[in-house]
Amino acid sequence: MKIKIKIKRFNPNEGEESREPYFQLYNVEAGEGMTVLDALLKIADEDDPTLSFRRSCRSAICGSCAVSINGHAKLACKTQILPERHKFGEILVEPLANHAVMKDLIVDFSPFWNKMSRVTPYLTPPPGRQEQADDVKITPADEAAIDRAQTCIMCGACNSECNALEIDPEYIAPAALAKAWRFVGDVREGEKQKRLERLSMEHGMWDCVRCVHCTEYCPKDVRPLKEIELLRSAAIGRGITDNHGAKHVESMTQSVKRVGRLDEAAMTFKTLGFLRSLGMIPFGLKMELHGKMPMPLIFSQIEGMDEVKTIFDEIEEKKKEKE
Amino acid sequence: MSQLKYAYYPGCASQEITKESSKTTRLVASALGIELHDMPKANCCGAGLLTDYDYDLYIALNARIFAEAEQMGMDIMTICSTCLMVMSTANRDLQNDKRLLEKTNDILSKAGLHYSGNVKVKQFLWVLAEDYGLDNLKKKVVKPLSWLKVAPFYGCHSLRPSSALGFDDPQKPWSLEAVIKALGAEAVEYKGKTKCCGFQVDLVAEETAVQMTGTRLLDAKGHGGNCLVTPCPFCHINLDNYQGLAEKKVHQKIDLPIFHLSQLVGLALGLSAVEMGMTRHLVSAEKLVG
Repeated sequence: MKIKIKIKRFNPNEGEESREPYFQLYNVEAGEGMTVLDALLKIADEDDPTLSFRRSCRSAICGSCAVSINGHAKLACKTQILPERHKFGEILVEPLANHAVMKDLIVDFSPFWNKMSRVTPYLTPPPGRQEQADDVKITPADEAAIDRAQTCIMCGACNSECNALEIDPEYIAPAALAKAWRFVGDVREGEKQKRLERLSMEHGMWDCVRCVHCTEYCPKDVRPLKEIELLRSAAIGRGITDNHGAKHVESMTQSVKRVGRLDEAAMTFKTLGFLRSLGMIPFGLKMELHGKMPMPLIFSQIEGMDEVKTIFDEIEEKKKEKE
Repeated sequence: MSQLKYAYYPGCASQEITKESSKTTRLVASALGIELHDMPKANCCGAGLLTDYDYDLYIALNARIFAEAEQMGMDIMTICSTCLMVMSTANRDLQNDKRLLEKTNDILSKAGLHYSGNVKVKQFLWVLAEDYGLDNLKKKVVKPLSWLKVAPFYGCHSLRPSSALGFDDPQKPWSLEAVIKALGAEAVEYKGKTKCCGFQVDLVAEETAVQMTGTRLLDAKGHGGNCLVTPCPFCHINLDNYQGLAEKKVHQKIDLPIFHLSQLVGLALGLSAVEMGMTRHLVSAEKLVG
């Protein structure tokens, strides 16, 4: 069956007329099991050798062929044509979002690699123990803690979908954060504290907006949001809390411990500190006019606070046992 | 149709800063004949922040919410997408991992509680689109909203992660549009409808948050929306309360009224703007609702 494939094209080096991105339609003979990558290869082979895209393994291992298919980042080699067309009524192939396009479906990956190198993607032995990294015993549970993060194939699908990166190009973004957990979560790593301190800085792990795109669209089920949560817990556990992100989490936790629910006024104050909270006053007054200024919850506890306190105590107890 | 009844979990935001949302949900539910039963013991789900603090604590506190619903013999209905996502993710983990459920029940038992793993967590949007049903909803409409071009704003947590939510399709969602059409309004199509409003970083990375809010609002308006509807109070906070800040950031007047889902339904059922607390919004919807 002939299927129309619409591809977004762009060639900055050619004549004036093609300096702007444009869409080109190709008719491809497609059958059961054919992937988008098969179709791209067929077009380049039989129809239009100028069509540019990256590919290598064709088995969802190399991570080269991630593109946007019908609006979301997918591996071209793992996405079948017929089900995709059945669902969307068309096949629209575009370069990954949040990356500068070099030509057609090829994007500039240098920001991606720069972010990776920001998290020093290799093990650092503990200071003064350069030779002894081999001595550390690794249990299956130790391995399991970083297992998913290790399966990343660096295809860039998560960064392409990331809403924080869409707005802030300097944000470290999910791919590098998943990689960061692969090392912070490794029992052999010697510089966990330093790594977590660096990740807690501006444009770091606390800037994640929790849009869950990374976890939804990762083709290898790395679930970067989970790794971001693990990094955040690890930082708080190590007392790296002198930043708005960690303070936000701490004040929420205290609020739940105190009244069982969220105390918005206290949380704003504790997260931002005294001076920045003062800056919120003009905004707060406007909210107050509409009855929207959150008031501290002094009396309105939920029922059964004793149960909540017991749960907090039990978890504390279990944590101490572990240590 | 058998009597619909739910353990009602409005979430913290809708009990305080966006209380008009919960108030209207109760009015609408009563007009539709849906029973909402209060959960006086329910604690905060953690909004993702407890997950950052300590996973086991997050799971145990969410299991406490489920235990209350289980005792009531009802599924949970929330009107907050973030509560939906946070509770559904905890519930998925508890239901898929027997050892986690056991470990958690160990902790709960110290507080005299138990969770068997049999509660479902639903959002008001899903209840309307599926449990109540669009045809039944249409029958209740007394004032079709034919003058409204509504931009549906799903945001993040009513769609993702689909492995925990399992209702709508994050790549091609339908439920919000279906409800809008059932109310007699037009649904506007735009790319930003499934993206983030910025709320989670309001207090952490304010620049990013406000720029994001502005981007979404311009997208919705640029595609012909004369108002926007969201099933989530947090999205409402950013899109409505922060709209003024967003306008300054993107150097443009936006002036797009933002409805809670319950308010849009209420409007079609003949409720007045005042009853539904619309005077509490920072962006006035007066020109649309009179």
